[in-house]
Order: sequence, then C-alpha cells, then structure tokens
Amino acid sequence: MKKKQILLYTAFFLIMALLPLVANSKWLAVGTTFLIFSVVALSQDIVLGKAGMFNMGQALFFGLGAYTTAILNAKFNWPLLATMPLAILVPALFGILLAGPIIHLRGDYLLVTTIGFNIVFVQVLQNNLGGITGGPNGIFGVESLSLPGLADSPQTSAFYLSLIVLLITFVLMHNLEKSKAGRALHYLREDDLAAGAIGINTRVYKIFSFGLGAGMAGMAGTIYANQYSAVSPEAFDFVQSVLFFSIVIVGGSSIPGILLGVFLMFVLPEIFRDFATWRYFIFGIAMIMTMILRPRGLWPASFGNIPKELIRGDQNGR
Amino acid sequence: MLKAKTLFMASLPLLLMSSPLLANDTLKVGVQAPITGEYANEGQGIDQSVRLLAEQINANGGVMGKQIEVITCDDEGTAMKAAICAKELVNNEVKMVIGSYTSTCAEAAQPTYFKAGVLQTSDGTSDTLTQHGYWTFFRNSFPNSAEATFAADYIVTNKQYKRIAILSDFSSYADGLANEVEGAIKKLGGNIVAREKVKAGSQNFTPVLTQLKSKQPDVIFFAGYYSDGGLIRSQQVALGIKADFIGGDANDNVDFAKLAGTAAAGAYIINVPTPELLPYDLAKDFLAAYQAKYNMMPPSIWTILNVDGMRAFIHAMETNKSFDTKAAADYLHTLKDYPGITGPISFAEDGNRVGSGYMTYEIQADNSYKIVYKQ
Amino acid sequence: MDIFLQQLVNGLTIGSMFALIALGYTMVYGVMKLINFAHGDLVAASAFVGLMIYTNVLGGSISLFSVIAVFLLTAVVIAIVGVLLERIAYRPLRSAPRLSAVVSALGASMVIQNGIMLLWGPQMRIFPDLLPQVYWEVGGVIISLIQVIIMLLSFILMTGLYFFIEKTKMGTAIRASSIDQDAARLMGINVDNIIVLIFIIGTSLGAVGGIFVGLYYRGITFNMGWQYGLYAFVAAIMGGIGNIPGAMIGGMLLGLFNAFIAGYVSSTWFYLYSPHCHPYCPTNRYSG
Repeated sequence: MKKKQILLYTAFFLIMALLPLVANSKWLAVGTTFLIFSVVALSQDIVLGKAGMFNMGQALFFGLGAYTTAILNAKFNWPLLATMPLAILVPALFGILLAGPIIHLRGDYLLVTTIGFNIVFVQVLQNNLGGITGGPNGIFGVESLSLPGLADSPQTSAFYLSLIVLLITFVLMHNLEKSKAGRALHYLREDDLAAGAIGINTRVYKIFSFGLGAGMAGMAGTIYANQYSAVSPEAFDFVQSVLFFSIVIVGGSSIPGILLGVFLMFVLPEIFRDFATWRYFIFGIAMIMTMILRPRGLWPASFGNIPKELIRGDQNGR
Repeated sequence: MLKAKTLFMASLPLLLMSSPLLANDTLKVGVQAPITGEYANEGQGIDQSVRLLAEQINANGGVMGKQIEVITCDDEGTAMKAAICAKELVNNEVKMVIGSYTSTCAEAAQPTYFKAGVLQTSDGTSDTLTQHGYWTFFRNSFPNSAEATFAADYIVTNKQYKRIAILSDFSSYADGLANEVEGAIKKLGGNIVAREKVKAGSQNFTPVLTQLKSKQPDVIFFAGYYSDGGLIRSQQVALGIKADFIGGDANDNVDFAKLAGTAAAGAYIINVPTPELLPYDLAKDFLAAYQAKYNMMPPSIWTILNVDGMRAFIHAMETNKSFDTKAAADYLHTLKDYPGITGPISFAEDGNRVGSGYMTYEIQADNSYKIVYKQ
Repeated sequence: MDIFLQQLVNGLTIGSMFALIALGYTMVYGVMKLINFAHGDLVAASAFVGLMIYTNVLGGSISLFSVIAVFLLTAVVIAIVGVLLERIAYRPLRSAPRLSAVVSALGASMVIQNGIMLLWGPQMRIFPDLLPQVYWEVGGVIISLIQVIIMLLSFILMTGLYFFIEKTKMGTAIRASSIDQDAARLMGINVDNIIVLIFIIGTSLGAVGGIFVGLYYRGITFNMGWQYGLYAFVAAIMGGIGNIPGAMIGGMLLGLFNAFIAGYVSSTWFYLYSPHCHPYCPTNRYSG
C-alpha cells in the first residue's frame, strides 16, 4: 500500500472516529447506516469485483447474518456481541454450500441463479420457517449494544461498533489483495480458463470468495440488527442485492469508489430530504451514464504495479 | 486523483454536520405512517388529519404556548422501514408518535419508542400490541379479540352459515385476527371448512379461491387489508363462488369497492362506525374541516381513530401542565370518557382502548354502506 | 375434475400473459445477449399509459373503438420508449464488457420504475373496466370474457410472431442476427435495424401484456414490473433463453405451474416453491 493511501485511510478513520463529538444522534444514525452498507458493498466486491462472478444475491448473506443475530439475541437472549461469530459462520457456510453446485455457471446464468436463491431465502423467511423467523413481520426487540462508557448514547455505541467492523473489513480486503488468494482471484477474474491452465484451482478459489464475501456480509448483518433493533424479510430482498451489485460496478470495484457509491445511494437522500423520492430515478440515470462514460466505474481499481504501456484498452471483468 | 479523494473524505463530515440546528421551542409530534406503498391511501389520511389537527391547535395558541411541529416518516407499510422510522423520529426528539396504520409497523417500532420514552398511539388491532407491557403505547382502536367475538357471533348465530372459510395474509394483524375468529367460531360450534393464507400484494388469488370453491363454503371471512380484499372479492365472484364475503376491519377503505368493481355490491365488512356515521358534534366539525382543507373525506375510520389518540395525548399534557411523557402516560392509563371524535375515550391499564361498537355493513350497488347488524 | 379444469383455465390465462412478456426478454437476449431488466418495468408502464390514454385521451368512454385504441396507442407509446431505451442505454454499450450493459439495464429499470412513481404517484391505481364483466359457465368451469380475450389475443399475437420469424425475410434476418451478428452483417443484414425491430416487437407485446394485467387484476402499482418481469424472465429461461417458441411454452408452463401448485398444495407453502426463478430450471445449468 502506498504511503499516500495509508495517510488517506488513516485520515478517513480519524474523521469518522471524531464524528460523534460533533454530530447529533440523528446524523450518527445516518453515519452508521453508511458504515454498515459500506461493509456489505465491500463484501459484494470480493465476489463480484475481485473474483469476477456475477453474484446478485448478496442480500441473502447479509440477511442470514442479521437473522442469526436477531434470533440468538431476541429469542435465546445471547449477548449481542456473542452472536457475531455465528453470524459470520452461518452465512459463510451457506455461501460455500450454495456456491458448490452453481459455481461452474458463468455470467448471466450465475446472476439468475443467485437472484433465485435470494428470492427463495426471502420466501422462506416470510413462511416463518421452523417458527423462528417471525414470518413477514420479522423479529423485533434486538438489544441495542452499549459500549463501556457510552451507556447513555446507544447510537454512539452502534456507530463505533460499525466503525470497528469497517476497519476489520478494510484490513481483510488489504490482506486479501496482498495474499496468494487475492492474486488467484485476480487471475480468475481476468480469465478463468487461463487461471486454471497455470495451476490455480479455480473451483476452490471461487467457492472461497463466496464464503469470504458471505461471512463479511454476515458480520454487517449483526451491526444492522443492532442498529435497527429489528430485522424483517423485505430488508434483504433481491432489490437490495441489485443495489449492492450496482454500487460495486458503478464505484469501479475500488474501496473509495464503493464508499462513494454507498454515500450517494444511502447518505445523500438523508441530507436532501426532497431528493429522497428522486433518488432511485437519479441513481438509475447515474448508473447508465457511468457505464457509458466510464465503463470501468467511477474510481477503477488498480491491481499491482502494471506499467501503463502494458495495459491495452479496457480490461473490465467479463 | 488525490484532490478528489481528499475532497470526498473531507466533505463527508461537513455534510453530516450541516444539519440545521432547530430551536427547541416547538412540541414535536411524529407521524409514522405508510405514505407510499400498498396502504398509501391510509397513511396519507393519517398524515393529513394529524396535520389538520396540529393546525387547529396551533391556531388556538398551541399546547401551553408551544406550537406543534409535525414530522412525518414514511414506513411504507413494512416492518423494517418502521424500525428505521422509529429511530429517526426518536433522534428528531419527538414527544409523541401517531401511527402506524398496520399492526406490524406499530409493533416493529414499539420497543424503540418505549426505550426512548416516546408516547405512541396506533390503530393497530393486533392483540399482541398491548401485551408487551410498554407504558408508552396506547391503542386508539379496539383489539382483534373484540372484533373476533362480534364476527363469530354474526357468522354463527346471526347468519347461521354452515360452511365457513377463513382467509388471511401472513401479517401479524391479519393472521392474528383470523386465528381469533377461528377460535371464536369454534367456541360457538361453527363449522370451518377451510383456513387458507394468501400473500399480500400478489394480485392473483384465483388458485387459492379455486381450491376454496371445492370446499363449497357459504361464507368467506377475509382478515386482511382492502388492497387484497377488493381483488379477492372480485376474483371470488368471477370464479362463481356463491359464498358471501365478509371482510375484517382493514377492508374498510374507499378503495375496496373500486378494486372489487361490480362485485363490491353485497360484500359485508365488519368494523366500528365509518366516519360519516359518527353521531358526535366533534366528528362532524372535524370531518367538515377535513373536507374543506383536502377536498375529500378521510379514507376510513382509522384516520380519525389516530386523531383521537393524538387528542388524548395533548389533553393529558395540558391537564398535567407538563410535557413529561411518563406523567402523561400515568394520567392516560386512568383516563375515563374523554370526549373523542370517535366516541368517549377511556384507556385500560395495558394501553387498550376500552369499549367497542362493531357493526356489519353491506356494500350497496352505489358503493355506499348500509348497516345490517349492530352489537 | 372441474377444479382441475378451472385451474387449467386460470393457469392458461396468466400463462398467456407471462408468455407475451417473456417474448420481449427472449428476443432481446437472442440477438443482444443482454438481459433487459427494464422490460418488466415497461410492462408496468404500459398499464399506466393505457390508463392515461383511456382517461385523458379518450375521455373515459367505453366502446369497442376505445378498447382497440387503448391497446394500439399504448403499444405505440411503449414501443417508442423501448426504442429510445435501446438508443440511449444499450447501443453505446454494444461493444463494452457484458457487466456494463447489465448495470445499464438495471439503471434503466430503476429509471422507468421510479419514473412511473414520479408521474403517477406511489399509490395503487385502479385500471378501468374496459370490457364488460361477462362470465360463462361451461361444464362447471367459469370463464370470463376477459380471460377469453387474453387467451385468444395472446394466441393470435404469438402465432403471428412465430410465422413472422419463421416465414418472412425479416424474420430470417432476426434469426441470422441471433446466431452470429458478424456473419449476419457480412450477409448484408443491418443488425442495428434488426435490434430496433426487436425492441419494437418485444415492447409492444409487453405493452399488450401490461394492459392485460390491468384488465385482469384491476389494481396497478408502479413497482409491479419486478413481479411480472421476474415471472416472464423465468418463463424465458425455462424455454431456453433466446428461443422464441420456447418462451411461449415456458410462459404457459409457468402459468399452469402457478395455478396447480397453489391449487393442490396448501397455499401457505406455495410461496416457498413459487418458481419465480428456480435455480435448477433445466436450461440454465449447462449453458453459458
């Protein structure tokens, strides 16, 4: 990581960490939403941006994490933080199990299949499977965590918890990029036949990326359940998946690009109230315009140190 | 590149802080209602009538000198948005919240209001709403169990139907009401031939109805919302199912007849009196004011029930000469016969509204209501 | 037995609607290899355009003429929107990576869906009864005039399309373009024009489907496009996406599936099996 980048990320976290000193609880709630959705969008990036698989069902894993936390906390009285490991594990396992049989599908077919999973997931929740998902109402009354010293302001606690989770996500993403697995995913994305030919076990790495992305989304699910004290099926509808999918592509699959995308989609409508009804309309136009004008996204990711003269044309993931 | 990045990072907190700092000299009243979505018609009615009442109170000098400021949050009729709205309204420091229209949304928001000590009043009829022990919650309508007793009495004793089918959607209100009605009918010895569920908003109900047809019911009781009820009635007639249709209280909306089309005539709806039928002077004045301001009648009785909830809250604060919500709640829990638009308002210890006056209406060919049975 | 027949009639009715809408997906995919996510929203839009044409242009009078006018004018308006959509959102991305076009299609879907909301409001609107509510009872099965018209008109349109694709020169050009665009170009086919043609046919069939939805269900909402779009999309996939007769059969099968599963399995559990987009549809496993 370049020095400049380190400086910028440190500055970002410092500013975010100081936010509770100046912002009231209303704006902290907006900030928390921004952090939560950033984590989900980044987890989507692992599968879609890094490994190049058209996954349009990320809300499933996000929801699975949120429901795990909600069920354990509201129905079995587990402390909120104690639910987090399971809220990561359950979606990760599901990610691996679901990815197994469908991983050889490519492009549009994988996209359709993951949408299908997402829809079946929401239907299962609405049918109140095993009597524990609360049906279409979902589950209410999840505990609001209060961090030590912040007992009087649950919103500040939720904000810091989310910030910590985002920090963990950043570290994970950074390490992934530097690791063998990260390089393997990158080759996969560029050309999975070639990747297989040079000895990368494409199947394992594809499943790995699904599992990792699902686990991270599940972690975001815990802080989501904490923030709203409630979970319900429509929050994890496949339309949400479509949003995360679009944010990653429009953002250009880079961390600043994705954060910018989340900011535009979830924070801007809070600042400009009148904008709220127009947001999807404008975001839709922005999606079309971005793809036409900058097919690689607003803030395209770079990988490694490839000399500029070696890059031919656009090399967006296919 | 660096510039843009820095600009973005720096602008984020700035934008967040740019929230206008409102002077804290108004009484903030939150409205949590489905302004958009399937139940938009009801939500807008609640919002409009709360704003009308606030306007009337403000014109008379406000509440103990404070003007009322109405803050609306659209919960879209979904539990998740309701939970988000609850956070948002609490963060906006409202003292009381009117809404929401659906029991599910009211219930999803309840814990947040309770923790923040914000008074909440809803027309939600689900029995579970008042079973959590939240001192902040007051129901301005009457619970499902009361309606179920009336409905069962009407179905079994009065109309003497022999083959009863019960339909509901999956929501806590509708499922709860259907179960209550089922229980009450069984208690009276009625014969239930089918109990099915439909998915709210799915438009195509013919598969379920065709299935019902084979059971040859002579009455279909639908516990659910008007947006589905109207379509079910229309599709039921289209399929030639010659059973009577009885809709639960949430079918009471002007859109029911529009959706049912010609099939609306002859359908029965069970509810407390419609706004037009309220005999009280307060009601006549308020409806006239509503008609004058919005050039329409309120979409249903629910709108007015919510207004009554808000009137009771303000009455409590004025009697206590304090904006303290706990004191207001303590007063409200013993409130007896405060004159309301929908009749005298009394609350029980658990926040339930006391008393009920259900009726059965038959929809006429011109879509007007005719009372056919009274408690 | 009459329950079986009744479900059959109901299934074929909604199946016809799915099939009409599915054709738009499958034709676009066949030639452009693009899932046109905006198609479902165009279907929703056509119900609203039909409503507007009926109340504002025709003044709310019901006659045979106004029924035909609603169908034709809506199809024209929606076809124009479809062509504009292709020109603005898809054509510039013809040579771009697949993902860019997918996101552009999703963006177009959002724009159309929320455009409807901004124009006509978020509430449910009531579609007028253009056709008289007439029912016949044939051997215990109830059939309404609307159902007959939906099935009949869909059948005529689909047979027409089938012969157009199979028997005419233009149809041959469409088939050629969907097999290999470059080769088609070498044979002197103007693929750009073919794509415009496909959008005109696909969206106007979708427009008819949208009006059917309004006529049959009466309540129309701005976001109903997703629901019908998805069903139709699955129908297209079941029939083998890109395959025109396949989409027709897929739509019918999905309609029947819908009616029968809910008819014979308790409705409470139907929604779990509802094949919106069943992951193991036969055709999407091995291709791609």
